[in-house]
Formats: sequence, C-alpha cells, structure tokens
Amino acid sequence: MTLASFVAKNALRNRRRALLTILSVAISCALLVTLLTLQRELTTPPESEASSLRIIARNKVSLMQPLPYKQLTQIERIPGVKQVSPFTYFGGKFRDEEATGWAQFAVDPARFRQLIIEGRITDGSYEDFIRDRNSCLLGRDTLDRYQLKVGDKLKFTGTFYPVDFEVRIAAVYQGTVDDRNCFFHHKLLDELMGGWGMAGTWYLCADSPAVVNDVINRVDATFANTSAEVRTETERAFQLSFVSMFGNVKLLTGAISLVVVFTLILVSASTMSMAIRERFRELAVLKALGFQRRELAGFILAESFALSTLGGALGIGGAWAFWNQMDVLTFGHLTLQKLTKGFMPYFEVTPRIMATGAIVAAVLGIVAAIMPMITMSRTSVVEGLKTLD
Amino acid sequence: METSHGPVEPIVQIRDLTKIYRQGDIDVTALAGVSLDIAPGEFVVLMGPSGSGKSTLLHLLAGIDRATSGTVLVQGINIANLNESELAGWRNQNVGFVFQSFNLIPVLTAAENVELPLLLTALSRSERKAQVRTALELVGLGDRAHHRPDQLSGGQQQRVAIARAIATDPALLVADEPTGNLDAKSAADVLNLLQRLSREAGKTVIMVTHDPKAASYGTRSLHLEKGEVERDVRATSFTP
Ligand SMILES: Nc1ncnc2c1ncn2[C@@H]1O[C@H](COP(=O)(O)OP(=O)(O)O)[C@@H](O)[C@H]1O
Ligand SMILES: [Mg+2]
Repeated sequence: MTLASFVAKNALRNRRRALLTILSVAISCALLVTLLTLQRELTTPPESEASSLRIIARNKVSLMQPLPYKQLTQIERIPGVKQVSPFTYFGGKFRDEEATGWAQFAVDPARFRQLIIEGRITDGSYEDFIRDRNSCLLGRDTLDRYQLKVGDKLKFTGTFYPVDFEVRIAAVYQGTVDDRNCFFHHKLLDELMGGWGMAGTWYLCADSPAVVNDVINRVDATFANTSAEVRTETERAFQLSFVSMFGNVKLLTGAISLVVVFTLILVSASTMSMAIRERFRELAVLKALGFQRRELAGFILAESFALSTLGGALGIGGAWAFWNQMDVLTFGHLTLQKLTKGFMPYFEVTPRIMATGAIVAAVLGIVAAIMPMITMSRTSVVEGLKTLD
Repeated sequence: METSHGPVEPIVQIRDLTKIYRQGDIDVTALAGVSLDIAPGEFVVLMGPSGSGKSTLLHLLAGIDRATSGTVLVQGINIANLNESELAGWRNQNVGFVFQSFNLIPVLTAAENVELPLLLTALSRSERKAQVRTALELVGLGDRAHHRPDQLSGGQQQRVAIARAIATDPALLVADEPTGNLDAKSAADVLNLLQRLSREAGKTVIMVTHDPKAASYGTRSLHLEKGEVERDVRATSFTP
C-alpha cells in the first residue's frame, strides 16, 4: 500500500457518495461549459467581413408579412447600399417528405451573387443559374445528403405559399455557415403566385462596415410612415433575434453561471464535510499513529481534489462531446448548426472555455476541502477518539 | 541518567502530573499530582473507578494530550518539550496504541492496517511487507492478512490492532480497556498476547482495565482514585 492508494481507497469507501459527488460536479461543469459557450455564441461578432456587411430588412409588423416589391428600387438608391436582393423564405416540402429541415429562398440571382460571396461554386455554373429561371442554386450538404447532381430536378410543395414547383440544379455552393439551402428565382415565385408583386424580406449589402449603421437607419427612415414600414438590422442581429430576449441573454447566462458555480461549491463542500466528519475518529487514530496534521490535510485535499477533477473531466468532456461532436455521435445526422438552421454558427466548446471549466473544478476541489481541513486540524486526538465512542 | 530507585533506569518517569479540565466556571481535576516510575518491560495495569483519571494518565504518557503541569519523561525525553509534529513523529516511533473499539480503518485489509504506521518510516516497500508479516504472525493472524476488519471477529480485530501497535517496534504499548468489547475467550487471547509482548519482546505495556481478571495478567497494578494513585501493587507471581 502507498499513501496514494490509501487516499484512493478512502475516497471510494462510500461508493454511492463518491459517485454522487462526481456526478454533481460533472453535471454542474457541463452546465457551466454550456452556458459559457452560449454566452460566447451570443456575443461573438460576425467572423467574416462579408457577413458583417449584410443587412436584412423585414416588415415591421411581422416577419410573416411580405413587403411590396417596388421597395427594391428605393432601397437601391439609398447611399451606402451596394446591393440588394429580394429574399423570400419559401419553406416548402421536398419530394414526399413530411417536413423538410432545410430552407428554400426565392432571390434575384444576379443581385444575390454579391450577397453570398463566401459560397464557392463547386459544381455547375452560377451563370447558368442566372440564365434559367427554372433552375436553382443548391447547398453542397443537401446535394450530398440526397446524392443529387447538377441537372437533377427538385420538386417542392408549398406550405406557406399555395404553389408547387420544380427546379433544375444549375449550380452547387459550399463554404457558407449553412450549406444546405436552395435558392431559386424570385421571378418564378412571383409568376406562380400570379403576379404577386411582393417579397418576404430584403437582403442588403453595405459598401463598408463603417456605413452599416447609417444604411440601417436610412432604410428604416425611407419607409417610415408608409403602409409597409420595415425593420432593418444586421444579418447577425436578425439571426440572433430568434434567440428570445437576446439583450438579456448575456446577463442571464452570466448570472446562471455564477449560481451554478456557487451551488457547486456548496454541494461539494457539504459532501466533502460529510465524508470527513464520519471519519473523524479514524483521523484521530491516524494522528495517534504519528500522522501529522499537514499529512492528514493532504489526504483530505487529495480526496476532494480527485473527486472534483474527475467530475470536472467527465462534465467538461461530456459537454465537449455533446456540442462539438454531435455529428459524430449521431453518425452525421445532427449538428447544432443544422438544429438551429445556422443561427448558432459559432456554438462551439472552445479550449478556453474547457480550461475555465477545469479551473472551476480544480478550485472547487480545493475550496471544498478547506472546512474539513480546518475542523480536522482543530480536533485533538483525544477529542477525535471520543466521537462515536 | 542514573536514579536511586533501582538498578534499572525507568522508561517512564512521571512527576507531579496534573490535568485540570476547565468547563465553564468549574475546574475538573482529572489528575492531581501523580508521580511514578515505570521500568522497561513492566506490564502495568491501571485500575480504579470510572472518572478516576486512568484514561487521562494514559493519554498524557502516550503523548496524545498535554498536561496542565508536571512532567512526563519517556526514555529521558520530556515530551512536553516536543512540538505537535515532533510529538507525532515521536509517537510513531515510541508508542503503540490499542483501543477498546479496535479502531481499524474499515476500507483497509489487516495487512494494510498494520502497514499504516510504517508508511511514515523510511522503510522500503518490501521491508514494510516483511515487518507487516512478522507482526501479523506474532499475533497469530498470518493467514488473515488480506481480510478486511468486517471479515474478522472482534478478538481478531483487536489482535490486528495490536499488530499495528507493534509494527514500528515501539518501546511502549498503551491500551485503554482493550478487552472491554470482547467475549471472555477473545479477551484472554488478547491479554495473553500483551503479556507475551511484555515478557518476550520486552515491551512496556500500560493497560487500563475494569476487569480484575484482566489485571492479573500484569506485573503491577496501579489503583487510581480521584486523580491520585491510591495503591501501587507489584505482583509477586504471574498468572499461569
Ligand atoms: N475533555 C474533558 N473535559 C472535561 N472533563 C473531562 C474531559 N475528559 C475527562 N474529563 C474528566 O476527567 C476525569 C477523569 O476522566 P478519565 O481520565 O476519562 O477517567 P477514567 O478513564 O478513569 O474513567 C473525569 O471526571 C472526567 O469527567
Ligand atoms: Mg477511561
């Protein structure tokens, strides 16, 4: 036997409690890591310049309410607007699917080109897409998922819109935050709707990051007091507006993280105290045998530290696996990007967040040991021997 | 250091030992100026009514409690002069403890329990193992080395505790009512063992007991009464 194996045996003597301690630390650490990841997600600025330039204007009344097509020419003339395209969520069902998890948008292909500049064309040609109003631009992920190829026909059934259509794959894109979408001609939708004359939203691109805010204000102002007022915001803000209470989420996640850490400390400290208290007599015996206070303090600390770092490793590792390896765990069926349809492109447990979690677990192991160590060193051998006697 | 009391230098010299517990406004005198010498190899039995100070005396001379006044010299060392950590080291090398309730560590096997005090020594793993085996064989439990306390009878547990007490080969063995939780047969085994350790291994054994039969195993009995030594009787003959 060694001192280390002695500590290990003591730590595991009450298996159920050791397990509960480890699990409570693990769950709390996983929660903490998730909250920190969420907070990062919600506060990370757009990662590319292209996306920081993009703006979305929608009907002020509701996202479901379309906007008159004639607004296009007015927006085009606003200083600082480099490009604008209609951007209408079709939300149809593909083939015979019950529900289709990827979106179709009606756009003006010639204008849209400047709005999807991260996307590389991997198959077919964008010119072909522009030329043929019965064609579409399809994301690589969807192409691969259904084992499609350029030239294949895609059939969609409307859900919001009472129309069905079929389009030919003219080009395939890859490299955006969401490579699953299908873009088709707004003209086609307009025609099918019998000269609709409306658009779902406007998708804009500003000249430079410096003018983004001005453009937003100008677009809003242009349609103020008209029958179709708009609400304009950056693409990122638009995406995040789907996360309710965005403004307070950062504060909220911060507060919850603190509560989690605090609760974690209380829970672990009390289980640790319990574990030590029921061993007071043994600690007294060890003292009588010649073990010194600092050695016994070392045992307590090692036990507490081992349990909490084990729990931490489990929780942090679990959170990492769950969030970052979701596609691997589900054999490619699920990713968070897919789940949130690209609204959470940065939701990733980073090494930095994992390190924060590890530090919390380690500190916890130390803090939880403090009270038991103090009580142990204050108790004399004779007092300790009397307990439970 | 030569003394005038006899040819053998005492292993324990106690002078005017006093222990007063302060409980609020009341002072409880547990020991009231005890003086006595114990020679090496003696088997001293401490007797007396409950509350007479037997345990207190044992704790003071074993270095797990501090006196209010007076001195305890063990092998010439005034243990009051040792600080906490020196005292811990001193106990490890010089005192073996046997308790009424065995006090083995439940998660450790008999061998591991015996090894505990050896972990504090400079002995190598194999030396520790050898010493553990010797101690367990000496108490007749060589075949129970890998049993945990809950797999042993009370008498066996107490013998493991004795093996643990002698593991570092200390000169002093202190035992506070070691047979208090045992049946007559196991008690006799334990008492025989302590007697053998004093006779054959030269250990100085100091044992607290209530049981007059247990007292008959000793070479000397001290009767305490209200914190003072009332009678000090040396046995003229040993128990068969
Ligand atoms: N920690 C303590 N606080 C107060 N009084 C104590 C304490 N320990 C022992 N005493 C008192 O000291 C006296 C002697 O106790 P003790 O040595 O345990 O007696 P014995 O072992 O002979 O029964 C008793 O009156 C007891 O109440
Ligand atoms: Mg007593």
